[in-house]
Amino acid sequence: MHTDPIYNRRLFFKKVLAGSGLLAAGMYTACKPRNPLGHIKGSIIGANSQVGHLVRNMASLPAPSRQVTTDVLIIGSGISGLSAKRWLHNHGMNNVMLVEMDDHFGGNAHHGKNEVSAYPWGAHYIPVPDIRNTELLDFLKEINVITAFDASGLPVYNEYYLCMDPEERLFINGLWQEGIVPEAGVPADEKEQFKRFSALVDHYKSAIGTDGKDAFVIPLDNSSADEEFRKLDTISFRQYLLEQGYNSKYLIWYLEYGCKDDYGCNLDNTSAWAGFHYFASRKGKGSNCTSSGVITWPEGNGFLMENLKKLAGDNIISLQLAYDIQESENGVIIKVYDVARKESYTINARKVLIASPQYVNKHLLSAIAAPDRLKAFNDFHYAPWMIANITLKHMPQQRGFPLCWDNVIYGTPSVGYVDANHQDLKNSMKRVLTFYLPLVNDDPDAARRKAHVTPYEHWLEIIAGEMEHAHPGITECIEHADIWVWGHGMIAPRPGFIWGQSRKTVKEPINKKIFFAHTDLSGISIFEEAFYQGIRAAKEISNQSV
Amino acid sequence: MEKLSSRSENKTGIVSHILLLLSVFVIATCGLIYELIAGTLASYLLGDSITQFSTIIGTYLFAMGIGSWFSKYLDGNLLKWFIRIEILVGLVGGCSAPVLFAIFEHVESFRLILYAFVGMTGVLVGLEIPLLMRILKNNFEFKDLVSNIFTFDYIGGLLASLIFPLVLVPYMGLIRTSLFFGLMNIVVALLLLYKFKETRGYRRHFLVIIIISILVFIVGFAYAERIMAYSESMTFQDKVIYSKSTVYQRIVITKNNRELRLFLNGNLQFSSADEYRYHEALIHPAMQALPHARNAMVLGGGDGLAVRELLKYPQLQSIKLIDLDPGMTSLFTHNQMLAQLNNHSLSSPRVKVINTDAYNWVRNDTTRYDCIIIDFPDPGNYSVGKLYTNSFYKEIYRLLSDDGVVVVQSTSPYIGRRSFWCIDHTIASVGFLTMPYHTYVPSFGEWGYVMATKNHSWRNDGELPEGLRYINAATIRDMMFFPPDMCEVTTDINRLNNQVLVHYFETDWGPYAH
Ligand SMILES: Cc1cc2nc3c(=O)[nH]c(=O)nc-3n(C[C@H](O)[C@H](O)[C@H](O)COP(=O)(O)OP(=O)(O)OC[C@H]3O[C@@H](n4cnc5c(N)ncnc54)[C@H](O)[C@@H]3O)c2cc1C
Repeated sequence: MHTDPIYNRRLFFKKVLAGSGLLAAGMYTACKPRNPLGHIKGSIIGANSQVGHLVRNMASLPAPSRQVTTDVLIIGSGISGLSAKRWLHNHGMNNVMLVEMDDHFGGNAHHGKNEVSAYPWGAHYIPVPDIRNTELLDFLKEINVITAFDASGLPVYNEYYLCMDPEERLFINGLWQEGIVPEAGVPADEKEQFKRFSALVDHYKSAIGTDGKDAFVIPLDNSSADEEFRKLDTISFRQYLLEQGYNSKYLIWYLEYGCKDDYGCNLDNTSAWAGFHYFASRKGKGSNCTSSGVITWPEGNGFLMENLKKLAGDNIISLQLAYDIQESENGVIIKVYDVARKESYTINARKVLIASPQYVNKHLLSAIAAPDRLKAFNDFHYAPWMIANITLKHMPQQRGFPLCWDNVIYGTPSVGYVDANHQDLKNSMKRVLTFYLPLVNDDPDAARRKAHVTPYEHWLEIIAGEMEHAHPGITECIEHADIWVWGHGMIAPRPGFIWGQSRKTVKEPINKKIFFAHTDLSGISIFEEAFYQGIRAAKEISNQSV
Repeated sequence: MEKLSSRSENKTGIVSHILLLLSVFVIATCGLIYELIAGTLASYLLGDSITQFSTIIGTYLFAMGIGSWFSKYLDGNLLKWFIRIEILVGLVGGCSAPVLFAIFEHVESFRLILYAFVGMTGVLVGLEIPLLMRILKNNFEFKDLVSNIFTFDYIGGLLASLIFPLVLVPYMGLIRTSLFFGLMNIVVALLLLYKFKETRGYRRHFLVIIIISILVFIVGFAYAERIMAYSESMTFQDKVIYSKSTVYQRIVITKNNRELRLFLNGNLQFSSADEYRYHEALIHPAMQALPHARNAMVLGGGDGLAVRELLKYPQLQSIKLIDLDPGMTSLFTHNQMLAQLNNHSLSSPRVKVINTDAYNWVRNDTTRYDCIIIDFPDPGNYSVGKLYTNSFYKEIYRLLSDDGVVVVQSTSPYIGRRSFWCIDHTIASVGFLTMPYHTYVPSFGEWGYVMATKNHSWRNDGELPEGLRYINAATIRDMMFFPPDMCEVTTDINRLNNQVLVHYFETDWGPYAH
């Protein structure tokens, strides 16, 4: 074989050059800036604020063109409205109609589903209830969440619905630890403060007021009126902690996390009473669980909602916006806009139960509400939330405690994410994670306005930023992410609100014809309160009916 | 730089000689290392080290011969050729181990690529010495030249052969070793480039290439672990004859003269030498008591070995095998060697294979079974742990006929004592009568099972099939005896909302984990 050396050398050189060019190109593609979120599909799907906003703008709606008559009308298919409907249905009142403005039912207990899992869009669990809450236990028994009562009378919970182990973990100081109470890297003196606080909670759990009632209980209206406890409502949780010498940054973080998780508020906007209520009202008992047990489903409280609805009889109609309420001689006249048909009609009801939140009622009742009620409406503040349901190809490999139901990342704005697949016994690599971000702000209106104009890509950046912090490489695994913004997610239990006058004022029925039920009437947003408010209002209606 | 080389002008001669001889030493070391890497890698990945080593060495030497022969066609600027070749040797040799490891699982003709690498490295290494001799021929007398070069060559060889097994493989691993010596070749090229001023004309071009190569090596060095994780074949003692990642798990089968072993995610599932003990003990105590059994269900056990034992009972008309992983069941249906092991059980007309999640299946199934065999992996994580909970056994209770028998593989009662008794107690908690038993399986150690029934109908007097190697009535009786170091301890019940078993299992097995 003979080759021309010069040609050979050139060729060699060219090859080396080409090779290194290729290499450089490869390195460039590997490192070049590209949109790291570009592969994620999805959109902002939730928050039908447009329909809601029509209430503020009655004039723009067509005039009613027909009439409907019913004995009782319920406005709103949230937990409170559906609970009321179920109760009336069970008590022989069948001429009851329920209108819901949205295209789905359940309000904040709304849920969704994709090929990987069902998932919540809002509420996702209830704690194991207090056994004195018999109305709730009855409902849970009826839908097989309680399967039996054991010999000592304790409820036996369906173990497919009790939150499975492992339940909670926290990403802190670079590691996932078991449980949400910070452990890893917490100095001894700060641990001491945790102990002191938890002893205090234990005390409040069993504390009884001078009136013989529990200091803290669910439903909250049954709590003691003893000044010793009530005075906690006059100051913020932050002020309380400061006064009591709690200054551990880990403890403060933990308690603020709690306020954000339950109320969407920071320590300043939560009353100390509300702050303690969360911990000290959890006295649930069950035969096969501890008092800290929780009950949950892939679709979250959507499970409870769908079951309530099944038991609530018929005549529950979506896409019907109630926009005006007037009293008539022997009843109430409600104007309703049919969102699909784009037409209005009136419903003549003997009684109406308004199970919509007070920020809506302010508009609904603008014509007939007394001045003190109108004034009281102004004390109802709501925390906005952003929820994302994120579909992952798989969880990235990771060290530390494995994926749990609730996964919290220390020191971030969100309150973490819930693994929607957790209660699903099927083995699946793909996962849906429900990411919860309370839009905590001293001025919720400003936060709400900002949230409504925030583009999808920006939400994604927020989510990916937080998730990457605790799960390097997770962004690559995200296939899909849908987003829901709750402009008025949760009622804020600000100092003075729960035991103040406004809550009492707006709860009062109007002329034995117009009744109220919504979790915001309790001053805190939880399933049990919405359930309780619905039944309370339904009882008022039926008592008046006799 | 400029100044320095001119100041030492008169010394340059000696310095450059030493440098070139040093290069001989380095390249000799590198050359032998590449050969050793290829040989080791081949015997790791392909097994049979004698054949692998001798064919690799043969190929390598032959390729070196080709290189040497080819060297005469290189003319002109020899130093430049030499630097070029150094870079190439560095790249090809240095990348050999990482590339071969990374592709092993993914290519059909691994051998071809392996030998291509060996050949290429050999040719390039073969070019080195003749070229160097020609470069140095004017500076030395011929006899000195030959003596010097070969002395350094052989010393390098000795060094390589000593540090390779003693230092490099144990401390750096094959991939890092390979990258490191690749880097050495490149460093030689870099040194020559800088020490010889006649390279000035083409320094820049080479420098770019050298820098890129060094970067590649550094990146490779940093990611060596990852590349390794790509192919964990080295963790197995024996020759890996099959390895595959399915969606659910990593299946590896190894073989030596005596036995075949199956590993799932690195955990030994069975050895063909003694699996008969495990599977006979799993099936026959239950089945001998069920002369009227019509149907059976096996959960887990995609290897078909439990089914093989069940098929020895002609009264069974239908057997369902529920296994998550279709990759596993199809392997044990279609692979000649493996199907032979389970006696083609999965192709039997009496057997129906269903690939689905066991929990989901059990929850939705409504059939009544006379015999249910539960052969899941050990409860080492939360998702497997669910399959050992009271909720799961409640479903099993519902599916078992009144006179039926369930058997659950229940980890080692010796090492996992609390785990074992936790399983027993959990099964009992849903209303079963349990009969725990255990046996010795050499490749596992002491192994435990829990048999469960709804009433007291179980007897140890049934007819056993012909040809069993381990189980007879006396064995069954003996297996029920638990010596003091394995006898019952109190435990909690394993529930979905506490998963205590996973915690027990972790603490029980913790001291045995590496
Ligand atoms: C992000 C988030 C997470 C939560 N997580 C939990 C949790 O984990 N556990 C828990 O217990 N609680 C949780 N909650 C609280 C939750 O709000 C309550 O549990 C409960 O669902 C509230 O029910 P409700 O009926 O009081 O109110 P809503 O859910 O607000 O229901 C009101 C309904 O009225 C309808 N409506 C309003 N105006 C009109 C109109 N003019 N005409 C017709 N219909 C109208 C609305 O569309 C809505 O369907 C969460 C809330 C949010 C926002």
